[in-house]
Amino acid sequence: MNAPTGAEPSPDTLAALYEILKSFNKTGAELGPGTRFSEDLNFDSLVVMEFIAVVEDDFDISVPLNILPDIATIKDLAVAVEKIVAADK
Amino acid sequence: MAGLLDRFAPLMGQRDALFADGGTDPFQVKMDRIFSQTEAMIGNKRTILVGTNNYLGLTFAPEALKAAHDALEACGTGTTGSRVANGTYYGHKELEVALCDFFGKEHAMVFSTGFLANLGILSTLMGPEDYILMDADCHASIYDGVRGSSAQIIRFKHNDAADLDKRLNRLADKPGNKLIVIEGIYSMLGDKAPLADIVAVKKKYENVYLLSDEAHSLGVLGQYGRGLPEEVGCEDDVDFIVGTFSKSVGTVGGFCVSSHPQFNILRLACRAYVFTASLPPSVVASATVNLGLVKSGGALRKRLMRNAQHLHSGLTALGLKVASENSPVVAVVAPDPLVAVAFWRGLIDEGVYVNLALPPATPYGYSLLRASLCAAHTEEQLDKVIAIFGRVATKVGLIEPVEHKRSAVG
Repeated sequence: MNAPTGAEPSPDTLAALYEILKSFNKTGAELGPGTRFSEDLNFDSLVVMEFIAVVEDDFDISVPLNILPDIATIKDLAVAVEKIVAADK
Repeated sequence: MAGLLDRFAPLMGQRDALFADGGTDPFQVKMDRIFSQTEAMIGNKRTILVGTNNYLGLTFAPEALKAAHDALEACGTGTTGSRVANGTYYGHKELEVALCDFFGKEHAMVFSTGFLANLGILSTLMGPEDYILMDADCHASIYDGVRGSSAQIIRFKHNDAADLDKRLNRLADKPGNKLIVIEGIYSMLGDKAPLADIVAVKKKYENVYLLSDEAHSLGVLGQYGRGLPEEVGCEDDVDFIVGTFSKSVGTVGGFCVSSHPQFNILRLACRAYVFTASLPPSVVASATVNLGLVKSGGALRKRLMRNAQHLHSGLTALGLKVASENSPVVAVVAPDPLVAVAFWRGLIDEGVYVNLALPPATPYGYSLLRASLCAAHTEEQLDKVIAIFGRVATKVGLIEPVEHKRSAVG
């Protein structure tokens, strides 16, 4: 499993991700930082790609495919998104 | 403990839901006898083949058959070695020279398949400081290739040059090299890349290279069959062309051509080139001959496109949803995988073979009956195919029976 990232994402980032996830949440799982994409939301590789494309549009960033294997939870993604946003500035 | 392949349970479930009812499994088709480029015996049924990617119909070209026979007699059935060991014969070098002449590029590498060419080139070309920007709808071999690369991998929206521009702009201050990866014609829907727009975006930035996979456009597009870059008139702006001999060229094998001055170092760095056996001499000989036929194949290209238009207009007139236009790929969209499978089985029972393509292998989650045309198809064959599509589409409920339609209109 993933090592804890240490960093805590901002509530705004998490809220934006929850908003995007509404239309992808087919299992009706409750969304929280610890919600897992694969186990809790049943995301397959295709859905992951569609979802990431929307995240990229929303945050105006590029999410490299390389980091996807290390992203298991919403919190993981929020931390990664914030890192990319900061690097783009 | 979980069983070895238990993680494929969702795929097994999907397969069983679609195919376990005893009908023909579309992914286990066996050709029992080959009559020609366009007809084969499948089981007891003589079948018209409309899903072979054999665009120019060169698989039985007499000149290539003879060259293959001669090479077989002269050199044996295989090289039993890698290109960098004992597996480079004079034929492999002649084919590479022929590729350089054909494309007007300085260097060419011949791989054992098109898949391996993408795997080898894309995993090797870019380094840890670099970026690969790939079209989201690229082929599995491109995805697998970039996965082996140490570069950062970024997808841009399919055929969206503005999205590519946005993403390159974000990277403008980053020091690494950037590689754009596209395909001339995308295999599933047969749509072309907006190459002129992509080249214009490429030119706005420094250190950006362009690679185009011409697997489905080689032999199909351009006056001399050099693919989309020839048709668009920007061959010098495409730094790397990857392709295959397994479609228009009518045999098997892959290649990459480029005029990059240091290109040849890839012969030692590309693992998919170094660590696999080279193509058999007979295959190489037929590829070389057929490449010449591709170049002089203007009449074949015309027939191919005429056939494509014929099938496209016939299927559209039936009321079917066809995803592609003006393309050698004619993909009919079915509403869901179950209907697609029923449709496919109806076609095979009546003697028509097309590719069944299901998500996740398809864009937009489409379930497709994917036909690809051949220059050797006759009008009579295609009329028969269209009639059978009409009957089967009615049977599976995709279109109304013809009588109903008439009465509804008038």
